Amino acid sequence: MVLKLVVWAILAFLLMPLVIIVLFSFHASPSLSFPFAGFSLRWYAEVLGNAQLGSALVKSLTVACFTALITLILGAAASLAWLRLGHRGRALLEVLCLTPIALPGLFVGVSLLVLFAQARIQLSTATIVISHVVLALPILIVAMRARLALFDPSLEEASRDLGASQMQTFGKVTLPLIAPTLIASAILAFAVSFDEFVVTSFVAGTETTLPMYIWSMMRRTVTPLINAISTLALVFSVAILFIAWLIGHLRRRSAVAGRTVS
Amino acid sequence: MTIRAPVIEITAAQKMFGSFQALSDINLSIEQGEIVTLLGPSGCGKTTLMRLLAGFEAVTAGTIRIDGKDCAGQPPERRPVNMVFQRYALFPHLDVFENVAFGLKVKGTPKAEIRERVQRMLHIVQLDSFANRYINELSGGQSQRVALARALVNGPKVLLLDEPLAALDLKIRQHMLVEMKRIHAETGATFVYVTHDQDEAMILSDRVVLMEKGRIVQVDRPETMYAAPKSLFAAKFLGETNLFEAAMASDDASGMTAVTGSGLRFHSSIVPAGELRGKAIVSIRPESFRFNRDNDTTQSATGQVEDVIFIGSRSFYTICLADGVRARVQVQRSTRTSLPKPGEKAEIFWDSENVVILPGS
Repeated sequence: MVLKLVVWAILAFLLMPLVIIVLFSFHASPSLSFPFAGFSLRWYAEVLGNAQLGSALVKSLTVACFTALITLILGAAASLAWLRLGHRGRALLEVLCLTPIALPGLFVGVSLLVLFAQARIQLSTATIVISHVVLALPILIVAMRARLALFDPSLEEASRDLGASQMQTFGKVTLPLIAPTLIASAILAFAVSFDEFVVTSFVAGTETTLPMYIWSMMRRTVTPLINAISTLALVFSVAILFIAWLIGHLRRRSAVAGRTVS
Repeated sequence: MTIRAPVIEITAAQKMFGSFQALSDINLSIEQGEIVTLLGPSGCGKTTLMRLLAGFEAVTAGTIRIDGKDCAGQPPERRPVNMVFQRYALFPHLDVFENVAFGLKVKGTPKAEIRERVQRMLHIVQLDSFANRYINELSGGQSQRVALARALVNGPKVLLLDEPLAALDLKIRQHMLVEMKRIHAETGATFVYVTHDQDEAMILSDRVVLMEKGRIVQVDRPETMYAAPKSLFAAKFLGETNLFEAAMASDDASGMTAVTGSGLRFHSSIVPAGELRGKAIVSIRPESFRFNRDNDTTQSATGQVEDVIFIGSRSFYTICLADGVRARVQVQRSTRTSLPKPGEKAEIFWDSENVVILPGS
């Protein structure tokens, strides 16, 4: 009984902010507190009408997409290496990957800024992407590690044994099997990049990403616009997860259907 | 009778992993259509030898010829062998049909032919109605059949089986052994079967290759290996046996005699593997001892019954023959003859064709 109450309390604690933000994003008045004064889409209209906000959003999406793509390619290569490494190699890779995660964002931001200055690289969208890859890659490798540990290397041997070349084995066995892991990791990298603030503020130069824009907006006044933006971001992430699930589901169904019809 | 030609010829093969000698001086020839088991305790090199045949490892020295061709440098995908993996290694992202069709597909076999061959193979392994199942929807025994079908559908010259029954429970294991024999008869492929289980080896094999510490210690038909082990290791590894420390006493036309320290004489008519001199070890299977005298039985000993274990159709007796010398005797259940009881005196009898004398250490 007590345990049940605790569970519900924790759930409420986790979900209440979400519910409140979504609710107030539809609030008809600018007030951010109860009593609730009725529903309206005015904040959404204002969000969509705000050109600066729009360009910051586009910037953030662009950065997040490139970060996800680059991290995915590097992560896939790293994970293939991981599958072929022995215990010692894995342990070494783990130490190398875990250390950057533990570093404070402040430190990473400053060191990247110094590095870019030393190398005479102009601060731009590209430097933001590079910085986000630096942040996302270790997280991604750590996230993939547990799932790749379940990958059975004898599957690759079985494929070779059945007549598939190394390239065919990669395309027909390894890649399809690690694809869900890679996609999940790419989504994670996207998420890390999309709301990154500390490091971005060092390396963004004159560029503005969505978190930076919201922060600058908040410095003036706390506006209900924030609620609408947050709700949109929430819908967006849920949609991505749903699409990922749907792709997997449809692929399986079409594979079986394709054969029984022919 | 089919014409028998060696399909695998291994000559002076060696395998090193770093400074560890995994296999040394392996010579083995396997004929078309045989079931040969590589038997030995874990770490004896049997799996390494199989991986050499499959092409996952390369020999450090020596040659392996498969179907007449030296396969040095030949990658696994180019060898006319297929393997059944210990944990099956079925592709979890494909269903049963696609798993079995995998080998044919990568070789570019026409679609209609793939369908026909896969369906015929699924029929042989009795999984006709499972084509659309995913691998995680199969039981252990069914996965085993899919693994067999996936390998055999390619028509390999040699089917390699790496402890294929190790992951199954006892009942399914016995059933799959019978299935394996039937599938072997239907396909006519050569089977090379790795196992550490002596029962599997004896039930399945035409010949058993017994391995220890990276070497082949004996190659024989299972009955021969059981009746006439050529080493202490072979005697102990296959089945249960009584071992008596003894010294060689005489060697003549009728056979050899060894005598234990307590004066028990064992006469053997089995021709030994090598020269015997000095210390010897006598090996007699528990079922080779009897409590009743046959007409021509000449060897016997008297002792006291220490212990009786009754296991349904059989009973095991422990007989103390002398200080520290005990014999384990296995007798079939019988209502006709009266058997000794614990504590009673008993005389046991044996024949010279069941006495194996091995070199002592």
